[in-house]
Amino acid sequence: MIRKDGSARAIEITLQDWEQRKKFSGFSDEDAQLLQQLQPVAEAFADAVVEELYRQFLNFEETRNFFSDSAMLARVKAAQKIYFLGLTAGDYGEKYFENRLHIGRIHQKIGLTPRWYMGAYSIYAQLVFPRVIEAVKPAEKALRTFGALLKLIALDTELAITTYIAASEEVISRQAREIMEIATPVIQVWEGVVIAPLIGTLDSGRTQQFMEQLLVRLVDTKSSIALVDITGVPAIDTQTAQHLVETVSAVRLLGAQVILTGIRPAIAQTIVHLGVDLSGIVTRSSLTAGLRVAFDLAGVTVRARNGPSMPASVPPNKEPQGTLM
Amino acid sequence: MDEGLSVIRVRDVLIVTMPADPDDPTVAALQESVLVALEQFGARGVVLDVSAVETLDSFFARTVAETAQMIGLMGGQTVLAGMRPSVAITATQLGLTLGTAMTAMDVDRALDLLGHE
Amino acid sequence: MSSPPLSKLHIRAEIDMVAVRRSLRVAASELGFGITDVTRIVTAASELSRNIFRYAGSGTMKWRALDEGGRTGIEITFEDKGPGIVDVEQAMQSGYSTGGSLGMGLPGAQRLMDDFDIRSSIGKGTTIVIKKWVRR
Repeated sequence: MIRKDGSARAIEITLQDWEQRKKFSGFSDEDAQLLQQLQPVAEAFADAVVEELYRQFLNFEETRNFFSDSAMLARVKAAQKIYFLGLTAGDYGEKYFENRLHIGRIHQKIGLTPRWYMGAYSIYAQLVFPRVIEAVKPAEKALRTFGALLKLIALDTELAITTYIAASEEVISRQAREIMEIATPVIQVWEGVVIAPLIGTLDSGRTQQFMEQLLVRLVDTKSSIALVDITGVPAIDTQTAQHLVETVSAVRLLGAQVILTGIRPAIAQTIVHLGVDLSGIVTRSSLTAGLRVAFDLAGVTVRARNGPSMPASVPPNKEPQGTLM
Repeated sequence: MDEGLSVIRVRDVLIVTMPADPDDPTVAALQESVLVALEQFGARGVVLDVSAVETLDSFFARTVAETAQMIGLMGGQTVLAGMRPSVAITATQLGLTLGTAMTAMDVDRALDLLGHE
Repeated sequence: MSSPPLSKLHIRAEIDMVAVRRSLRVAASELGFGITDVTRIVTAASELSRNIFRYAGSGTMKWRALDEGGRTGIEITFEDKGPGIVDVEQAMQSGYSTGGSLGMGLPGAQRLMDDFDIRSSIGKGTTIVIKKWVRR
């Protein structure tokens, strides 16, 4: 799912997905009924099961650290009991689904990886099995009930893991954005001149982030010329072209100007066909050509020790050197 | 917090400093104050320092454009100085124009710009 | 699922627009919007609240935080019981022009925000709801 600002939501699980998963696992209405019938029994041994579960957690150093303070442990146990009883509540619709998603997000936030809460689900199954066999008669019904419980636990596990992954991917995409910022550097090459080489696809979000970065750097370096090079941009759409035009206008409001370089034939064609108006913006096909203009505007002459000086061509908007007599 | 604008004369140029969030009457006062000072001091240029300004909306932009036009009629030039990046980006997206006013990165450059005429 | 707090301001005089801008600047910053988005939100609100003052005489601005699908946003509602907009479609097209009527600046405010919803009835008033989401 792509949002308006161009960023993508890693995985969006809908209620529809949940219903589909239930169907796929064969979790039927009969299963729901069997579980609901188990509720009074579950209520009877809920405390014992939760105690045993946490005894296991506290036994292992890695999981013990998550429950370091006793107030927190008490809260978590209480929440765990509610979760456990939820398995036999009888309603496995929207509310149940939302609640399970929430758990996955929290686990990601506190850093409890799937490895450990997968362990917890196994422990549940082991603790509950003998109790179900004892409490439900006949044995055939007990097995069907336990089967229903396993299906539900499997569904819960899958949800928790998917949410955990989604939450982790959000962290990754945030970091990717931060990398992107480093990847769109705005470098000062001379007093008053900065260069911004853009590389890769420019979506709306990235272009806006670039706009901010460029303007801030212009102010920081007190530069009046920004060479924006798009040689590394493979394609350009209307919106990106529009953003580039906006960037140029915004830079002008800061009393500076943009020289746009690296316009390859394909992009030149696209711009003209899209009818985007780039008139009033200085453009050049290569970064070198752009540098010539930039240095000239900055009043800089570059001279090779043996050879011609740069700018070699007559600078724009200026009278030719020397006078005719 | 002093929300008024200040007008200072530096040789034959006026430097007008706008506060961070001027209310509409303050923005409107810009026009009056500047033109009166322009006449009084015979200044040939006006630098409008907007480095503190956090919001530049259509009313502000229109006032600036009109004022620049009036300053032009009175034989002067206008330079808008020190616009913040966030304000520049927003103003551009809003489609605002500043008429004949020029722009500069800061007051120093604005003075340079006026000096070279 | 949206969360309080809900904040409401009356727009009756020019000075109220300063309160509008100030409160939204604080609210948007606290919600985690970057400086440029805060500026966009405050500027759009400045435009829309000025419309209320100019065309309807008085009205209200209320805002609330949004929290949907894990993302945070802001929703601002501008309401007045003024004369209403005769041609909403035309108003949504007229932009800014140098020297001349600036219209109501509605398309500009729309460009600055992510969502823009306008309802207006002649003689009854206008309600504009704008939203922006924190860029992640």
